[in-house]
Amino acid sequence: MRKYAVAYSIALQETLQRRSALIMDRLGGFAVVLSLYSFWDALLGDKPSFLGYTRAEMLTYVLLLNVLRSFVFTGRGWQVVGEISSGRVSSYLVRPIRYQGYALALDLAQKTVHAASAVLEVGLLVLLARGHVFLPRDPAAWLLFIAAAALAALIFFCLEFMVSSLAFWTSESGGPLFCFELFLQFAAGAFFPLDVLPAALRQALAATPFPSLVYVPARVFLQKVPPAEALNLLAVQAGWLALFALVSAALWRRGVDSYAAEGG
Amino acid sequence: MAAAIEAHGLTKDYRSPVKELGLWGGVKSLFDRKFKDTRAVDGVSFRIEEGELVGFLGANGAGKTTTLKMLSGLLTPTAGSAAALGFTPWRRQPEFQRQISLVMGQRSQLWWEIPAQETFRLNQAIYGLSDADFRKHLDELVELLELGEHLSVPVKKLSLGQRMRAELAAALLHRPRLLLLDEPTIGLDVVMQKKAREFIREYNRRHGATVMLTSHNMTDVVELCRRVIVIERGRLLYDGPLDRLVERYADHKILRARFHKPVDAADLARLGTVTACGDDGATLQVPREKVAASAAEILRSYPVADLNVEEVDIDDVVRRLFTHT
Repeated sequence: MRKYAVAYSIALQETLQRRSALIMDRLGGFAVVLSLYSFWDALLGDKPSFLGYTRAEMLTYVLLLNVLRSFVFTGRGWQVVGEISSGRVSSYLVRPIRYQGYALALDLAQKTVHAASAVLEVGLLVLLARGHVFLPRDPAAWLLFIAAAALAALIFFCLEFMVSSLAFWTSESGGPLFCFELFLQFAAGAFFPLDVLPAALRQALAATPFPSLVYVPARVFLQKVPPAEALNLLAVQAGWLALFALVSAALWRRGVDSYAAEGG
Repeated sequence: MAAAIEAHGLTKDYRSPVKELGLWGGVKSLFDRKFKDTRAVDGVSFRIEEGELVGFLGANGAGKTTTLKMLSGLLTPTAGSAAALGFTPWRRQPEFQRQISLVMGQRSQLWWEIPAQETFRLNQAIYGLSDADFRKHLDELVELLELGEHLSVPVKKLSLGQRMRAELAAALLHRPRLLLLDEPTIGLDVVMQKKAREFIREYNRRHGATVMLTSHNMTDVVELCRRVIVIERGRLLYDGPLDRLVERYADHKILRARFHKPVDAADLARLGTVTACGDDGATLQVPREKVAASAAEILRSYPVADLNVEEVDIDDVVRRLFTHT
C-alpha cells in the first residue's frame, strides 16, 4: 500500500505545483456554481418551494453541486488516455505496481485538492446566501452523505478508467471520453436536480448508475430520503461500484494483453 | 556461468487492426475486428551470461525494440520461449520486475512538474527499498551521474542531458540485475554521450549487472560491447565478438599511404579503389586477399613515407550489412 500512498502524496504536490491551472480550474467551477445559484435564486423568487424542494434546499443543492462535482468528477482520465496512446504506460507495466491502483491514488490527490477548495468556495457563498442553506442537524445524515459521496467518486473513477482504456484499441478515445463526461454530468444531476426531468426520463435514468454520482448523495445530504432508504441507495451504489470495478479491471487486463507498445 | 537471458525461437507477429477510418470505425473494430499480421521478430535464439554487456544491432524496424520489449515482459511472443533471470518475462511477476529495468531513450518515467527526487521516492516505494538502501544507491548514482544540484530542480527545467541522467538514476535505483537499454544516448551531445557510456560501463563493472543495449550510435557499441548480436528483418544475422563481425562482413581493408611527392591516382587504381588522393597521400580500399600484394607493390613502386593497413570502420561494416541483406 505504501507505493500508492507515496504516489498520492507526490500527485498532491504536483497538483499544488500547477498553481495557475488549479486557480483557473477553480475560477471556472466557481463561475458555474455562481451562475446556477443566481439562476435558481431568480427562478425561485418568492416561491416557498419548487418541485418538492424548499428554497433553502434548492439553493443548497446548487451549492452542493460545486463540492460534488469537484470531488466526484475530478480525475485524470485524459492522462490515462495520453499515457496509453503515447506508449508511456510501458514504464508502469514493467515496474511492480498496479496501474489501476496508481491511477486511483493520483485521482484521489486531485479530488482532495479540488474538494477542499470547493468547500471553501461554498463557505464563501453561504456567507453571501445569508441563511438560505440547509445543513443537516443529524450527524448520521452527514455520515451517510460522506459514504455516498465516497462511493460516487469511486464509481466515477471506474467508469472513467473504463472509457479511458478504450485508448488501447482506438487512437480516438478522447472523443468518447469527452461525450461520456458531458452526458454523465447531465444524467448525474450535476446541472440541476433530476426532479426537473419528465417522469419517464427520470425513471429511465434511475435504472442507470448515473444518478448515484451526484443526485443520490445530494438527496441524502438534504435528507430527502429516510435513513433506511438512504442505506438502500448506498447498497445500490456499492453494487454499481463492484460491477464497474470488475469490468474496468477486466477491460484493462484485456487492453494490456493486446497492447502492441507502439514502435519497434 | 548462469544465463541471464535465454531465448529460443523468439517470434513476434504484430497484429495491426485493419479498421475503417473515423470514430465509428474505432467502435466497430471493438466488436468486428480484422487484422493484418506483420512478423517483427522471427525465430531469434541467443543466450547471454550474467554480467555480460551485449550490443544489439539492427536497422530501423529490424526487431530490436520488439525483442527488448519481450524480454522485459511488455510483449508476449507469438511463438518461442525466453527466460530472463530464470523468469518468464511476460508473466510480469513482481519478483522479476524488481530485478530488471527497461530504459527507452525517448520515453520518460520522471514526473515533469516536480523535482526528479520525488520520482526516486516513488520508485523507492514501488521497489520496496529500505531507507538505508535507498540512500546508499542514490548517493552512488548521484556521484556517478554527477546529478547533485539537479535533484531538487523540477524536471521540466532540466536540460536534455540532465534529464537523461536523472532517467538513468530512476531506472537503476533498485539496482537491477538486468538492464535493457534502448537507445540510451539518443539526443545527447557528444560529451554527455561519453558520460552515459562511462556510467553504463561502470555500473556493469561494479554490480556485475547484465546489460543489453541497442544503439544507432556505433561509438556506444564499440566502446561498451565486446559481443554483438545483429538482427535484420527479425532474423538473427550474427552473434559473436565485435571484432569478428568486421572480419566476417568487411571484404576489404583500408590502405593509407603517405608519399614524399604526389602520385597519379589513376595509376594507383590498379591496386584497389582509391577513395582519397591528395598531394601527400592516398587512401585505398583493397580486397582482403590482395592486401599483402598491394602493400608490397606500393612500397616497391611509390615514394612511400608511411603506410598503414587498417580494418574498415565498424560503422561502415554495419551499414553495409544492413544494405546488402
